[in-house]
Amino acid sequence: MQINWIGLWTLTSREVGRFFSVYRQTILPGLISSALYILIFGFTLQQRIAEISGVPYTLFIMPGLIMMNTLTNSSSNTASSMLQMKLLQQLPDILTAPLSSLEISLAYIIGGTVRGFVNGFLVLLLGILLIGLPVENLVLSLVYIFVVAWTFSSIGLLLGQLSDSWDQLAMMQNFILTPLSFLGGIFYSIKMLPDWAQLLSFFNPIYYMINGIRFTVLGISDSSPGFSFAMALTMAIIFFTAAVLLMKSGKKIKL
Amino acid sequence: MTDAAIKIRGLSKSYNGSDALSDIDLTIYKGQFFGLLGPNGAGKSTTINILTGLVRKNKGEITVFGKDIENDFRFTRSQIGTAQQELSVDWFFPIEKLLYYQAGYYGISKNMAKDRIHNLLNRLGLWEKRGSRLRQLSGGMKRRFQLAKALVHDPNIIILDEPTAGIDVEFRHELWKYLRHLHKEGKTILLTTHYIEEAELLCEYVSIIHNGKVISEGTPSGLINDLGQAGITIQLKEWKNKLTKVLGSCTYTRTENQLHFSVQDTEIEMPKIISLIVNNGCQIQRVKTEKSSLEDVFLNLTGMGINN
Repeated sequence: MQINWIGLWTLTSREVGRFFSVYRQTILPGLISSALYILIFGFTLQQRIAEISGVPYTLFIMPGLIMMNTLTNSSSNTASSMLQMKLLQQLPDILTAPLSSLEISLAYIIGGTVRGFVNGFLVLLLGILLIGLPVENLVLSLVYIFVVAWTFSSIGLLLGQLSDSWDQLAMMQNFILTPLSFLGGIFYSIKMLPDWAQLLSFFNPIYYMINGIRFTVLGISDSSPGFSFAMALTMAIIFFTAAVLLMKSGKKIKL
Repeated sequence: MTDAAIKIRGLSKSYNGSDALSDIDLTIYKGQFFGLLGPNGAGKSTTINILTGLVRKNKGEITVFGKDIENDFRFTRSQIGTAQQELSVDWFFPIEKLLYYQAGYYGISKNMAKDRIHNLLNRLGLWEKRGSRLRQLSGGMKRRFQLAKALVHDPNIIILDEPTAGIDVEFRHELWKYLRHLHKEGKTILLTTHYIEEAELLCEYVSIIHNGKVISEGTPSGLINDLGQAGITIQLKEWKNKLTKVLGSCTYTRTENQLHFSVQDTEIEMPKIISLIVNNGCQIQRVKTEKSSLEDVFLNLTGMGINN
């Protein structure tokens, strides 16, 4: 298969450069809100919820915060970049260039993955510096953050391509992604929920991602670590393939 | 000039059931300055957008230098540089950087693109503005940037979709000069326009497209000789509605009190038209005759003005 490597590299570095050039909007907010979660949720609730699975509450929520930052940043990067290019007439530059659908999708998804990964990593670092978060397996944690960033970057690209307006995009993010990630157990263990709610959580893919990283960071997990990882990997493959196929179909970007 | 640069056969496209293009055939030869002429909504942009990969065709075949635009898209797209009609906006990067990105999409590394980009920025009067963002540029400057973007990978075929829409007269003439220069260098140029003057002045060959069909093609002078009619412009003191009926058999357009007739022979037709008008109680203020132009060809073919 022939690949336009320079083209792929150019579009990728454009995508990465785009969010770094506005780091006040794309990197700092995640750090600030995570610090606030740690300070307010952690320190106030810690007095009431002493430990979950033998871990102090402030530490317990850290993996969830890492995941939440990773997935919101990676998905919003691709979604907003795609929608912006669509609305500002920039897309023709890319669509008329000798770039394949795979190369275009890859460039967007790598861009979103880098943003998600950087954000996830910085929150992890914040946890280590602020509250001495012990990291059980650093390499595996980073791999996990990467896989989740890749998945949600692909999801963001799908949403961005399908949206016609900022309003539509915000609706999909606020009504689907945010509830799923909160209900995935960022702030609690599902063992604290009634049976029916536990059962519902098993159908929430983000639940496995949060518990997967909780395992690699803290060594505890509600779900089986192997299953969580397999789930994350499967989702990464499924959503990446879907994003490439949607790009190839030209839906909503080619008349 | 025997090799086809672009060959379009049986091209059709419909949007939501209504035909935008039906069965278009066009051949643009290597090195030709080709004009695609037609009113807004005739199908010019659709043709170009299919050619460059922005719109999917329903039927037909398009080749660029003999290669299919879908199967060999990497080759065909690298041969074409397009200046879109719509101006793009980019908030994030200065224009020089955008040109490097554009070159990169075409597989040209930064080092290789540098000289060419500097050259284009100079040539198009953008050097001083190279550090500016697009939103800081005036409309004319944005058009220049768009042309630089189209030329950054040194394409053999240059497609310009309404390049002079909304720009000042001075830059229009500069642009024409530059396009002639590119043509002399051997580039194939495909221009869409609804400014007849532009097509008449620049193009070696024009295709007139109307309601999604090619209705006539040829060299501007050939078309004028074959189909051209001379023009008579009559300025009335005031327009009376009954003239609509009286002049029903003539081919003309009206802008308020001014009538523009397309006729085969001014010497025979003028007295007839004048007497029709005067006998119906209208006063004529001024009469002007013009030699035939593409505008008259267009009017004759479509029964409407190109800017209607």
